[in-house]
Amino acid sequence: MCVTAIGCNVVRVTLNTPLTQNDVAFIVPGQTTLADVITKLGTPDSITESNMGVVATYRFLDMKYSRINFGWLLKPFSPVDPDLIISRTGFGTDAFELLCDSNWVVTHQSFLRRLSGPRFNPYPF
Amino acid sequence: MLFLKPLTGIVIILALVMTQGCAFSRGTIGEDIKSESVAEIKKAASTKADVLALLGAPDRLLQVNGRDVFQYYRYDAKVGSLLLILINFSRVSVKSDDLFVILNREGIVEDVILSKRTEGLAFRFWPFGE
Repeated sequence: MCVTAIGCNVVRVTLNTPLTQNDVAFIVPGQTTLADVITKLGTPDSITESNMGVVATYRFLDMKYSRINFGWLLKPFSPVDPDLIISRTGFGTDAFELLCDSNWVVTHQSFLRRLSGPRFNPYPF
Repeated sequence: MLFLKPLTGIVIILALVMTQGCAFSRGTIGEDIKSESVAEIKKAASTKADVLALLGAPDRLLQVNGRDVFQYYRYDAKVGSLLLILINFSRVSVKSDDLFVILNREGIVEDVILSKRTEGLAFRFWPFGE
């Protein structure tokens, strides 16, 4: 295991707290107001206007990157630093969007991509 | 219990031998949104000029529902890295503070929405789990 782990990097980047279906289960379209949502989830990252009403967006990211450099195996025997690197990045970008009417009542809600979250997996092929 | 002591010692020695170092970095965008300044903004009383005097120009000016919305934001990023001989672990955590001040057509504050997500943002290096 140590041999295969030589020259490994494991990196994770998180932007805001990823939201799940459970976190937003309290929202009832037609009843819940934007103020109720803000009380539970905090302020959205952006508020924009559309023809159908106000759109509030919560953005989040959970990026996972892993890398193995097999070239390290040859380091003791080589005059140069050889590299044989495999790596993979999973960008777990998603957003939760709310559509509100002119009275700030939520009329629609949805996740943008419904990601299950990337895994640490350096194999790129 | 007795066999745990040598095991703990071995783990500590291994950790010391394997550890090359660690690193902590931090990056911020924008000024800190002071809660005291936000508390001075009164709904149905403070004006657009009051808000600008207290908080300065907004980072973003929006028009929503026929109202002007001033958005102020600040981002805070904390990076922790544990550098071992065989493997490196890093974790970057980014959170934002956001303030929305909603003004009515007369330029009077209608609502103030603030959330400070950066409070409690910790340096972490372990990339697994939550």
